[in-house]
Amino acid sequence: MSETAFSAELGATASDWLALLKPRVLTLVVFTGAIGLVIAPVHMNPVLAITAILCITVAAGAAGAINMWYDRDIDAIMKRTSTRPIPAGRIAPGGALAFGVILAVLSVLVMAMATNLVAAAVLAISIAFYVFIYTMWLKRLTPQNIVIGGAAGAFPPVIGWAAATGNITALPILLFAIIFFWTPPHFWALSLYASGDYERAGVPMLPVVKGARHTRICIMVYTLILVPVTLAPFVFGLLGRIYGVSALVLGALFVAYSWRVLYDAQDERGVSLTRNAPARAAFKYSILYLFILFGACAVDRLV
Amino acid sequence: MPEPMPRTELAESTWTPAERAEFIRRRRGRNWLLLGVLAGFCLLIYAIALVKLHEYGQMW
Repeated sequence: MSETAFSAELGATASDWLALLKPRVLTLVVFTGAIGLVIAPVHMNPVLAITAILCITVAAGAAGAINMWYDRDIDAIMKRTSTRPIPAGRIAPGGALAFGVILAVLSVLVMAMATNLVAAAVLAISIAFYVFIYTMWLKRLTPQNIVIGGAAGAFPPVIGWAAATGNITALPILLFAIIFFWTPPHFWALSLYASGDYERAGVPMLPVVKGARHTRICIMVYTLILVPVTLAPFVFGLLGRIYGVSALVLGALFVAYSWRVLYDAQDERGVSLTRNAPARAAFKYSILYLFILFGACAVDRLV
Repeated sequence: MPEPMPRTELAESTWTPAERAEFIRRRRGRNWLLLGVLAGFCLLIYAIALVKLHEYGQMW
């Protein structure tokens, strides 16, 4: 018996169940959700604030677990995901689905109890969007999957704001738009050097369907859209100079990184001759970019 | 006190002591996690209830 098969037969470890929640993705969700809550112009009881962030985290994890349940066939094909608990056989698909659904329902109920119905409703919509719109519908259908599906990851600051205030105004909508337009260049930079996996699994990621050259252009276009969107909170007077200067500098750097991706040494099909070094750098920078930009929101409000 | 046997036919028939020990270790890990989650959930609901009662002036 192989090591993997034997390990599967022994059952899941506690960390396998936690892995279903996609903990690495959760970092950004927790952070942006917390920022939405912190910049809201309302004092919130710390217990309820922590509960709201916990609910956002658990809901995102639950959506991730349901995503792993649905995508178990393609996860088994892709090298990057083949060791996940379901394709590796350590957790039964039905168990993962039940785990995800129970956590999703509980997170929405607790959010409603601890904060308000608006926050709970947006939380439920974000889970449904990720599961039904992105995972089950768009992901395997269109190379634009990331563009529309990216909206699912843009909900946390809106939920955080709604948890604190009970309503949704222009600023959380702009924060939503920032993550919405940030997601395509972030993810396409990754897909430039991980497209082999998606191709094997038949997932129509942009580099697979339209080619690397087209993807590089799209990264540049979305970065150029992103920069003015990030400046909008400052232009409309919703956030101050600390945020405005940060958005400008960070945006200029993002454009520079995307420029390097666009003009990376490449063959006639746009395939990199430098092992996609600029795309890897752009992907890493995009994560840092969002953390610093949202951090600047909080600093601007608190200073 | 001896370790309890895993409740699967396969385990009883073919597992070595080391494999059985690993199976029990994993099961114990899952049980501790579940206990932690349930205890945390109870504490969370209790804390929310206290805050809500306080907010609406029904406690103090």
